[in-house]
Parts: sequence; structure tokens; C-alpha cells
Amino acid sequence: MKYLPLIWSGIWRKPGRTMLILLQIAVAFGLFGVLQGMKTGMAEAVAKVRADLLFVAPSAVGATPLPLADLQQLQSIRGVKAVTYAGDLGGTYQKPTQPVGVLAIETSDLWLTLVPDIFTVSPQALAALRSTRTGALITADIGRKYGWHIGERIALTTSTLQSNGSGTWFFDIVGMVTDHEPGESGLIVTSYSYLDAARALDKGTVRNFYVIVSDPKQAASIGETIDRTFANSPSGTRTTSLRENAQQAMQSIGDLNFAIRSIIGAVLVAIVFSTATMMMQTMRERAPELAVLKTVGFGNPAVFLLVATEALLVCVVASLAGLALAWIAFPLAGKYIPGLSMPVQVVVLGIVGAVLVALLSVTLPGLRAARLNVIDALAGR
Amino acid sequence: MNFLRQLSALLRMNLLGLPQRLGLVCTTVIGVTCAVGVLVSMLAMGVGARRQAMGNVRPDRVTLLSVGALGPGQSSIARNMAVLIQDLPGIRRNAKGEPIVVPQASVFMTARRKASGTPVGFPIVGSGMELGDYTPELVLTSGRMFRPGLRELIASNYCAQQYQQFGVGDTRTIQGRDWRVVGNFDLGHTGGTCVVYADADTVLSAFGRDSYNQVNVMLQSPAAFTRLVDAIRANPVLRVEARHEADLVAQDMQQVNGILNFVSYFIGTILALAATIGAANSLYAVVDSRRRELATLRAVGFNGLPIVVSILCEAIILALPGALIGAGLAWLFFNGRAASPFGTQFHLVVTSSLTLLGVAWALCMGLIGGLMPAVRAARVPVTVALRAT
Repeated sequence: MKYLPLIWSGIWRKPGRTMLILLQIAVAFGLFGVLQGMKTGMAEAVAKVRADLLFVAPSAVGATPLPLADLQQLQSIRGVKAVTYAGDLGGTYQKPTQPVGVLAIETSDLWLTLVPDIFTVSPQALAALRSTRTGALITADIGRKYGWHIGERIALTTSTLQSNGSGTWFFDIVGMVTDHEPGESGLIVTSYSYLDAARALDKGTVRNFYVIVSDPKQAASIGETIDRTFANSPSGTRTTSLRENAQQAMQSIGDLNFAIRSIIGAVLVAIVFSTATMMMQTMRERAPELAVLKTVGFGNPAVFLLVATEALLVCVVASLAGLALAWIAFPLAGKYIPGLSMPVQVVVLGIVGAVLVALLSVTLPGLRAARLNVIDALAGR
Repeated sequence: MNFLRQLSALLRMNLLGLPQRLGLVCTTVIGVTCAVGVLVSMLAMGVGARRQAMGNVRPDRVTLLSVGALGPGQSSIARNMAVLIQDLPGIRRNAKGEPIVVPQASVFMTARRKASGTPVGFPIVGSGMELGDYTPELVLTSGRMFRPGLRELIASNYCAQQYQQFGVGDTRTIQGRDWRVVGNFDLGHTGGTCVVYADADTVLSAFGRDSYNQVNVMLQSPAAFTRLVDAIRANPVLRVEARHEADLVAQDMQQVNGILNFVSYFIGTILALAATIGAANSLYAVVDSRRRELATLRAVGFNGLPIVVSILCEAIILALPGALIGAGLAWLFFNGRAASPFGTQFHLVVTSSLTLLGVAWALCMGLIGGLMPAVRAARVPVTVALRAT
């Protein structure tokens, strides 16, 4: 402890140089934080996904929608706790370049807790949706984008014709919904009864069933049972668990793991080299001072420890600053990259990395400082 | 003149001194190498993806979509409209004298990977029989073409290699019926994707649909496009829009390329920042260790400007090999390497323009990193520096 002032003055011997090293390491670890946070963030997001929810879709995208009549059959399958469903509608607002997706949900209370991480709706909003035939809930994003607010009536142009022959659908905005699916900012939610009563074709069909099972461990086998039940009907199903979907999405990005590792590797190599050479330079300049230390009684190990502590302090502080920087940058990057978060293990990994960088870069200059010949150094040779 | 003479003398001195400060030199070189290497490799992914997608594109191929549709997914063209399209002008005819008009209906299904058994999506494209005339790059490597009216599939070699049950002779259950794989094909540049073709009307009836997604036509020449568009506009019954193939592919690529470019430049900029700081730091150290030397030069009549320029030149000279080594390493390790970040496989391509971009990037790093140390060098107070130990 009593050597702290000594270490401190050693660090700030050349403030400009130290600041630059701090900055460089902070920037490098900021990048490390973002990349590593992306990886662990996705893994965490998958683990959080509800395991008891199955998603039943037509066996092929682009095929006919599923008949609502399948509902009874689904409910009768052993192990199924509850079933709900939704239809959908694709439209554009004012211009063909402004697509708006419409999710038409069956408005039971199941939707309050169906997919809490992705889709949250308040009981009031859901009640409003039930009581207004043409009601719609909007996300804050889309409301901001088009200047919509509650109470407004909006018109969407779609290719789905209504019974009266019109492709234009009207919706009265009655509340808000939160949708955390990245990239899905163009979404509004309406009630299935409105969609199905008004459309001319495909009446009595749904896009998806959502099946909640009593035992999450049985989810996979119940999913297979569902697909087998409908395999020979004209509208086959493809059932996936929500968690399986999330895992798949993660895997497609997971192929980038190699790239992430290479980048982190390149960054660490560059940082180690940079700090090592800067320290060599510093040691060379400080040779006379270190010689004085030795003259007044510091042993070789003590000098090495002194120098190593300086390096450790700088690296760890800078890496923490970098990780903090990454943490601040997450909301910004979150728009492009889903599931960013910084769990404790990333911070720990960052500190371990910083310690490693410090030790690797201090070894050579530190040993040289420790082996310093006092007489030569004092003579300036 | 005097400026140039001073500059060349200073530069020679700087360069001759490089071997003595090898460590500091390497800091700049390695920092720039890493930054440029990472940037070039990441951008090579975007170039590779784009090159693969655009590889087969031809200017005489046109896709008709329903009015207002942004892509084939939202488009729907009724069967009877597809018949009308056959009579439009400007469409090339095949050897049999039939117009090359290929209606297509796509559905997406899931297969399983051979290696891991995990599910993966693939498209079945129900296609008209003029498919071979429209896509001459489609070469059957085994088996034969599907026949109209039968539940037969042909699958690209990528499906056969990577996914289960796509070899010739395999059967797949689709909508409760058995479909037979009768052929495997190669698609030239787009070899890294799984595409399955079948007869259009068989697919429509199997999936209970009555409209196609798109109708592809091959033009007599690229110039016939305007004639086709005029004829479509003159016929109010035809509610379709003509889009060049390149146009649609580019639109498809936009999102993927947007993400790739954002990530590349985001990471590239951060690394460049770190490298610039490193270069600045090492040049500061160089200037520090040469304080007396620089002061002596000033004392014997060298001006500030040549000193600034000489140090900037040194920074650039150190950054350049970094850029070339970085781009070279990217080429060595990643050129031709397969990547599949978004499900389709493509090969990374390190081009000369990417290398040039890397060099430009490095020049910026050198200039920005060198500027402050250079100014400091020129500002060394002569008397103080000479007296310093």
C-alpha cells in the first residue's frame, strides 16, 4: 500500500502517453465488449424464451392457411393446456414503400402473457380491442413513424379483399402494444373476429396456432404428435417450439462466431504489441530513475513488481472503461443487432483479458528493468 | 525549392533512423495491419455475397410482379393473366417456337441438415416448363428434368450435399403425398443455395393455390424492355409491373448487404481508432526521443513546415506496408473461404478495390495519427530542448 504513490507517479510520468494508452485499450475493450456481449446476449435470450409454447404454422410458407376447425382437434391432444390463434394481413400505408403488417389475434387473456419478452399488451388495451370491432393496437415505433395516435382512424391498402370488394381496410387505434422483435417496427394488432368477418376469401382460416403445453419437457413430442395428426390432411402443419425457433435464429448468426473470435484475436495481438513497445520505450527513458530506486535498496523482484503493477492498473482500468463504453453503446447498436447484453461473465472475461494483456506486455520490459545494471543506467549508457 | 531540399534531407534522416526504433515502427505497422486486415476481410463477405447473387444475372431477363408488390413474396398473378402475358411483344421464342414465359409459384418448406439434423428452410419453386430456356445456366448433373403433371422435383447440388433426402431417387412427403427427386443440378455462380424446382401447376394444386407469385420472361434483347412495358401499360387487364432481374436481386441483397456493411464499418472504425491512437502514441515517443536532434535542426535553420511534413510522411510510410500486409493476410486467409452467416453459402472475395480502400483507410490513420506529434515536433522550443538532458 505504501508504494501506491510511487506507482501512481510512475503511471503519470508522461500524462499524454498514458492517456493515449488508456484510450487505446479502452477502445479495444469497448469492441470486445460489444462483440462478446452479442454472443452471450443471444445465448441468454434463447434461455429466457418460454419452453412450453409451440408455434403451429402451415407446413409450407406460401401454402393455404390452416382451417380454424383444427382448433378442437388441437385442444383434444393429450398434454395441451391451451390454444390460441392469429391471422394476418399485409398492407401498405399511403405509399407502396411503407409496408404495415397486421396481426389479427384471438383476443383472449392468453395474449397477456403469451410471449412476454417479445409481445406485451396491457389488460386495458386488450379490453379496448375486444370492445371496438375495428380496433387496433399500435407500437410506439410505428406511431412515431407515421404520426399516429390513439383515437385516430387509419386506412391500409391491401391485396386482401373485403366482402364489399374493397381492398382498403380501416382501423381505429384504441391502444398500444410493445413489440420487441427487432426490425418488426411496422406492425399493428387487431382482432381476429374483425379480419375474419370482413374478408371475402379464406374465411375461417388462421395463419398460426399457439399451443401451450402443460409440461415443457413434453413440448417436442407433442409438437410431433400435432404434425402427425394433420400430416395427411390437405393443410399440413409444421410445429416448432418457440425456443427451437430462437435457437435456429441464433445458429444462423452463430456461424459468425469464427469471425468474432478472429477479430478479438487480432485486437488483442495489436494491443499487446502496442502496450509492450510503449513500455519498452518508457523503461528506456526511466532507466536512470529505476537505477536510483535500486540504489536506495529496491531488489530486482521489487522493481519488476512495481512495473508490473503499473501495467496491470492501467490495463484493468482502461478495460473497465471500455466495457462501460460498450454498455453505453448497446442501445444504439441494438437497433441492428438483436439480443445485446452484458452479463457478469463478459465483464470477468474482459478483466481476465486485460490482466493477460498487461502480463504479456510487461514481461519483457519488466525483466529488462529488473536486470538493469545500476552503474550503466546512472551513467546514461 | 528550399522547402523540398529540407524535406528530402529530413525524410532521409527519418528513414535511416527507422531500424534503431524497430519496436515503435512495428507498433504502427501491426496496428494498421490488424485494422485494415479486419476491415478488408469483413467487407470481402459483402462482396462475395453480392458477387454470388449477381453472378447469373442477365439484362434480357425480366420478372413480372403484381402491381404494388415489393417482391415476389407479396405478388400474386392469377393463372389466366399468365396466359395473356404469353402474347406480349418483345419476348424471345425457344427452338420449338414457344415464347419463353415461365410462371413461378414459390413455397418455403423445411429440410434437415445432413451433418446436425437441425431444420433449415428451402424454397420449392413451381415453375413453367420453359425453365430450361429461361435459365440456361441450370445444368442437370444427374437424373432428368421434372415432367408436367407429376409430383417430381429437381434439387440443386447444394441441397443434395448438405440436406437429407435430396439425392436422385429419394422421396419426400409434401402435403401428405410422396414426391420423387428425379434430378440434381448445378446453377453456376449461385451454387451455394438450395433451390428445388417442380412443375408449377402441380405445386399450385398441391398447396391449394390458384395464383403464381411471378412470371419470368426472356426478352429478344435487353432493349425490348420498353416495348414490353408499353404493351403492359396499354392493356388495363394486365395488373402487373415489369422488373429487371438485376433490380430484384439487388433489392434482395440490400438488407443483407446493409447489415454486413454496417457491421464491417462499425468494427473497422473502432479498430482504426485504436490503431490511430497507437500510431500517434509511438510517433509521440519518437518525437520525444529526438527532441535534441529536432531542436538542433531548427537551430541550424530548418523550418517548421518541412519538419511537420517529414513526420507526416513517416507516418504514412509506416501505415502503407501495414495496409498491404493487412489486405494480403485477408487475401491469404479468407479469399475463397466459404461463409454462411445467413443460411446461404458464399465465398469471400478480396478484390483490388477492397485493397485500395484498405490503403486509403490506412492513409487516413497515418495522417490523423501523425498530425499531433508532427506539430509538437515543429514546436519544440529550441533553447529548452537543447538544454534538456
